[in-house]
Amino acid sequence: MAGVQANRLANGGLIDRLVSLNFRFDGKSFSGFQGDTLASALVANGVKLVGRSFKYHRPRGILTAGSEEPNALVELRSGARCEPNTKATTAELYEGLEAASQNRWPSLRHDLMAVNQLFAPIFVAGFYYKTFMWPAKFWEAIYEPAIRRAAGLGRAAGIADPDHYDKAWAHCDVLIAGSGPAGLAAALAAGRSGARVILCEEDFALGGRLLSDGGTIDGMPAAEWISRTLTELVALPDVRIMTRTTLFGVYDGGTYGALERVNDHLPSPPEHQVRQRLWRIVAKRCVVAAGAIERPIVFAGNDTPGVMMASAMRTYVARYAATPARRIALFTNNEDGWRTVETALGAGLQVAAVVDARPDVSPAHRSLASKGGFPVLNGSVSAVDGGKDGVSKISVSLTGGARAEVEADGLAVSGGWNPAVGLTSYHRGRPKWQDNIAAFVPDGAPPGMVAVGAANGAFTLGACLSQGFAAGAQAARDAGRSGKAGSVPVAADEAFSLTPLWHVAGKGKAFVDQQHDVTASDIELAQREGFESVEHLKRYTTLGMATDQGKTSNVAGLAIMAAVTGKSIPETGTTIYRPPYVPVAIGAFAGHHRDENFHATRLTPSHHWAAEQGAIFVDTGLWKRAQWYPRAGEKDWLESVTREVKAVRSGVGFCDVSTLGKIDVHGPDAGAFLDRVYINTFSNLAVGKARYGLMLREDGMVYDDGTTSRLAEEQYFLTTTTAKAGPVMQHLEFCRQVLFPELDVQLTSVSDQWAQFSIAGPKTRDLLREIVDPAEDLSNEGFPFMGAREVALRGGIKARLFRISFSGEMAFEISVPARHGDALVRNLMQAGAPFGVTPYGTEALSVMRIEKGHVAGPELSGTTTAADLGLGKMMSTKKDFVGRVMAGREALVAADRQVVVGIKPTDKASRLRSGAHVIPKSEIPGPGNDQGYVTSVCFSPTLDQWIGLGLVERGRERIGEIVHAHDPLRGEDYDVELCNPVFYDPDGGRQRG
Amino acid sequence: MAEFSWASRSPLEQALVTGVHGARGVEAGILLTEIRNFDLIQVMARRGKGAELAKAAKARFGMAAPDTPKAVQTKDATLIWSGPDQFLVLSKDGKYAMNTLAPAFSGLASLSDQSHARALISISGAKVRTMLAKLLSLDLHPAVFQVGAAAATSIDHTSVTLWRGADQTDGRAVFNLLVFATFAESLWHTTLDAGAEYGIDIRYSEELA
Repeated sequence: MAGVQANRLANGGLIDRLVSLNFRFDGKSFSGFQGDTLASALVANGVKLVGRSFKYHRPRGILTAGSEEPNALVELRSGARCEPNTKATTAELYEGLEAASQNRWPSLRHDLMAVNQLFAPIFVAGFYYKTFMWPAKFWEAIYEPAIRRAAGLGRAAGIADPDHYDKAWAHCDVLIAGSGPAGLAAALAAGRSGARVILCEEDFALGGRLLSDGGTIDGMPAAEWISRTLTELVALPDVRIMTRTTLFGVYDGGTYGALERVNDHLPSPPEHQVRQRLWRIVAKRCVVAAGAIERPIVFAGNDTPGVMMASAMRTYVARYAATPARRIALFTNNEDGWRTVETALGAGLQVAAVVDARPDVSPAHRSLASKGGFPVLNGSVSAVDGGKDGVSKISVSLTGGARAEVEADGLAVSGGWNPAVGLTSYHRGRPKWQDNIAAFVPDGAPPGMVAVGAANGAFTLGACLSQGFAAGAQAARDAGRSGKAGSVPVAADEAFSLTPLWHVAGKGKAFVDQQHDVTASDIELAQREGFESVEHLKRYTTLGMATDQGKTSNVAGLAIMAAVTGKSIPETGTTIYRPPYVPVAIGAFAGHHRDENFHATRLTPSHHWAAEQGAIFVDTGLWKRAQWYPRAGEKDWLESVTREVKAVRSGVGFCDVSTLGKIDVHGPDAGAFLDRVYINTFSNLAVGKARYGLMLREDGMVYDDGTTSRLAEEQYFLTTTTAKAGPVMQHLEFCRQVLFPELDVQLTSVSDQWAQFSIAGPKTRDLLREIVDPAEDLSNEGFPFMGAREVALRGGIKARLFRISFSGEMAFEISVPARHGDALVRNLMQAGAPFGVTPYGTEALSVMRIEKGHVAGPELSGTTTAADLGLGKMMSTKKDFVGRVMAGREALVAADRQVVVGIKPTDKASRLRSGAHVIPKSEIPGPGNDQGYVTSVCFSPTLDQWIGLGLVERGRERIGEIVHAHDPLRGEDYDVELCNPVFYDPDGGRQRG
Repeated sequence: MAEFSWASRSPLEQALVTGVHGARGVEAGILLTEIRNFDLIQVMARRGKGAELAKAAKARFGMAAPDTPKAVQTKDATLIWSGPDQFLVLSKDGKYAMNTLAPAFSGLASLSDQSHARALISISGAKVRTMLAKLLSLDLHPAVFQVGAAAATSIDHTSVTLWRGADQTDGRAVFNLLVFATFAESLWHTTLDAGAEYGIDIRYSEELA
C-alpha cells in the first residue's frame, strides 16, 4: 500500500522526507522519498523478491547498492521508453516511476519457469553445446528460439526510442574518476594547484562510501567535510563536477569515454533536453579513485533474497534509513564486515549472530557482541533456509566440525574488497595480486593514469585521503600547473585484517555469478572437462559475461578454479578487461545521428526548387539528387523517366550536375601535372577547350573520369564523378605534394562554388539564346563541340559554358556561382517555356548515357582497365602517367579480358536486369563458363526495349553473337545479343550539330 | 526578350527561420547569425614564392597574413590561415575580389574564388562553448583558443574553418564558422539540435562582424 514504508527508520539517512514519491513495481503502488534509489525504496517497503534468475528462475533479491548489482534488474518505464535490465540499485526514484521484474511468467511470485530448477542437474556448464548438437538444422529453427524464450533478461521496447541523446567533448588537465574521499582529495589538490579539473561521479550524490560509512576528517564529521570541500571546489574557476556520470572507457592519447545520465532521474527529459550524453574527455592526467567492490563468499543458498553484501546493508540503513531485515546475521572474513553490525545496532536492529571465519576476533568486537547480546561464531555459513520470502534460517559450520543454526531474516556477507581495476586495465593491463588484502590491484596503468585509494588497494580512510591528495597535486604539476595544493585532509586509519575465504563446501547450489547462474560446481566441472584457462572458463561457463561483467563474481570464480587446479590465484590469472565499465546504450553512441540526421547531407543549389516541383530524391553518397520529376497522372517512375528522355531527345531538358567534383588546377605546371595524372594529354589543350580525361590508380585500374577545361594559360577546371569527388581530390593532393613536389601547381576544390546544369536536346541553343547575352556567339563555329568559356548572361552575371554532352544530344553545361543557382534554374524554366523545357533527373541521365554507351560507376568498378572500357587508345605512349607501368601487366592486357559491350534481349519484350551472368548459348551455367555480367540496364524509349552494358569476355570480338543471360537471383534465363555499346547516334552527329 | 533576375540565395535561406528556436528563457543561451553575401578568396603561394607572397600581402592588406592557425583583422578584411603558404581573404562589397586581388599577386599566388562555396555562421552567447563542445573536438577554453585563434577542423565529418573573432562589447566570445555551402543546411540542423536546450536566437545579417 502506498504511503506506508514499513522498513523505513524514523530518523536519519540522506533522504528528503518532505518529498514523498509514488512509484509502482510489478503493478503494485509504493512510496519512497527524494534521495532514494528504486532499490532503497523497495527495501523501505519490505520488498525482498525483485527478480528471477537467468537460467533456473530462482527467486532473487537485492545483493548490492551500486552498479555492480547482478540480481535486481528491472524493466524501467513503459512503452517506447521501456529499458530492460536496469539496475534498481542505481535507478533514482522519481514520482510516477514504473518498474517491472524480469524473466518470470506469469508473475514474479508464481513463476512457472521455476520448473527449470528441477532439471538443474542437467543445466550445467556447456549444457547447450552438449545437448542441442543434433540434428544441426534444429538449432536455428527450434532449439535457439526455445532457449531464448526460457532464458534471458528483460525485453526490449521494440519501438523507436522517443528521446534524444547527445555527444560532447571536454578537455581538462586532471580527470578524476570517483568522488569518494580519495577522489575529493585529488580534486582539492589539483584544483587548488590551478589545474582544469573534471570530477566524474557515477552516483547522484558526491562522497562515495563516506555517504554510508561516515568517519572523521580534519576533525569534523565526514558529511561536513564533504560539504566544505564541495563549497571550495565549486568556487574554483576550472573545476567541473559531473554527477550521474560514469567513466566507462580509456582510449588512445588520453581520451576517455564517460556517460552522463542527464535526465534518467526524471520520467522523461524536459523539452529540448537529452536523456543521456556521451562524453569524450581529453585529459592530460587521470586519477582513478573508483573505489572497491565488496565481494561475496560462495556458499549454498547464497542467492536467497535477504542475503546481501554487508556494505550494501549498511548503505541501505545509514544512507537511506531503510532496513533490509529486522534481525540480521553477519558472515565475514574480515574486519570491515563488522561495521555493518555497528551500523545495524546503531539503527536499533537486532543482530542474531556474527559468523567470522577468522580465528581471532578483536576484543573490541567481542565486547560489542556481549553488549549487544549476540554470539560470535567462529566458522562459515554453509546453508541458508528460505525462498522467495527471504532468509529464515542460517546453518553454520563451526571451526572444529560442530554445526549451529541461526534464526535471522537477513544475512550480511563480506568476503573482503576488490579494487575496481577496470579503468586501469583497459589497455591490456593485468592487475597484480596483493597478498595482505587477498585482492588484485592495478599493476601500472595506461599513460597518464594513476589509481589511488581503494581502487589502488588502500582501504583505510586516512590512506585514501593522502593518496588521493598526493596524486591530485602530482597530476596538476605534470600538467604544468604550479599553484599551491595546500594541506592534505587527515583522518585515522581503520584496523584491517582478513582471512581469505572464497567458497564454503556444502549441499545445494552455491552461486558464483548470480546474474548468469554460474555455480561453484559449474567451475569444477569446467576444470574436469579441461577448460582451465580463465578465458576458456569464462566462455564455457559464461562466468562474468552478463551485463554486470562479473564485478561481484570474477575473482571468486578464479579463486575456485585456483583451488581445484591446485594453483595460486595469481597463477590462475585474470581475464582481459574491456570497456565499457557499465552498459552504455547504443543510443548514446549514436547521439543525434539517427533518422534524417544519420549522416550529413549535401544539397545542390537547386534542391529546394526541385522539391517544389515534387522531385523524387535519391541518396547518392551524401547528396540528395533529383531522381525524376513525376507529373500528375504518371503511373510509375518508368513513365516519368521515359517522358523526360523523350523530351530531351526531341526538344530540350536540363539536369542539375552540381554534384560533380570540381577542382581548380592552377599554376605554371598545371598542364604538366594533368599529363601525369591523366592517361591522355592536357598540356596541349587549347585555352577555351574541354577534353574528356581518364585517370588510373597506381595499380593500373581505372580510377575516375571527367572533363577538364583550360580556362586560361595557367588555369584548368577539372571535373570528377560525383562519387569520387573527395577521393580524387585526395589523390591529386597526394600526387602534388608527394609524387611531384617539383611541379608548381596548386589545387582548390570548387565543388561548392558552382551551380552547374547540363542542358541537352536539339533545342538547347534556342533556350540558351534566351538567357545568354545576345553578343555571345553560340553557333557551331562560334562555340564548337568541346568549347569552354565564360559568357555574359542577360541581367548582368557571368556564367561558364562548356559544350560537352553525356546524353549524346546537342548539349551545353552551364555553371554560375552557387548563390545564383536557384535563380538560374528558375530562369531556365522561364526561358525554356516556349520550347517545352523539361527538367530531368538522374534516371533519365542514366538512360541516355547507356543509350550512348558511356561508361559510369557500374563500369568504373575498380576492376576495369582503360582497354576494358574501350578507351585503351586514349593511353598516351609519349609520356609517363600514374598507373602506366602497372597497367601493362600481363593479366591486364590479356586478350580474353571481360570488356564493355552492349547487350539487348533477343525478345524485344523481355526485360534485362543488371547482375545477370553471361553464358555461352545452350551451355549449362556454371563457374567454368561464366563469361561476364550485365553492368548497367535501362528501358530505352528511343529503341523501345530494354538495353544494357556488360563486361563480357572478348566482348568486342563477339558483336552480333547470341548468348545466354542467367540470373539465378531472380530465377530468370533468356537470350541476349552482344552489340555495339553505342545504341544511339553512333557517329555522334547530334552532339556535334 | 526578358531580362532575368539573378538574385542571390543563401544556402541557408530555407532552413534559417529568424526568432527563438528551442528553450525560451529570459535570454537565449546562443546567438546564431548567418552572414550573407561575402567575398572569400583562397590565396595559395606558387612554388617557392611563400616569402614574396607574404611581403606582397603585407603591402596589400597593411598587415601580415597569418602563417600559423590564426585569423587577423585588417581594416577591411579578415585573413584566415588555411594551410602552409595559404590563407583566405574574407571581405564585403568587392573590396577584395578575384579581379582586384589577382593582379596584385600575379606570379606569386594562385587564387580561387570561394565566395559562393561557403556559408558563414557567427555563434555567440552565454552557452556558446557548451554548445560548440557538442560539435567540435577542439578545446575552446578561453585561455587555449584565444581571440584570433583559427582551426581547420570538422563537424559531423564535415570540414569547417573556425576562428574566434573579437569579443563582443559585453566581453562574450564570438566564434565564426565557414562551412561548405552544400553542407550548410545539414550543419544548420545539427547546430539547432545541439543548441535547442539553451535557446537559440536566430538572425541573419549582411554585415561582417
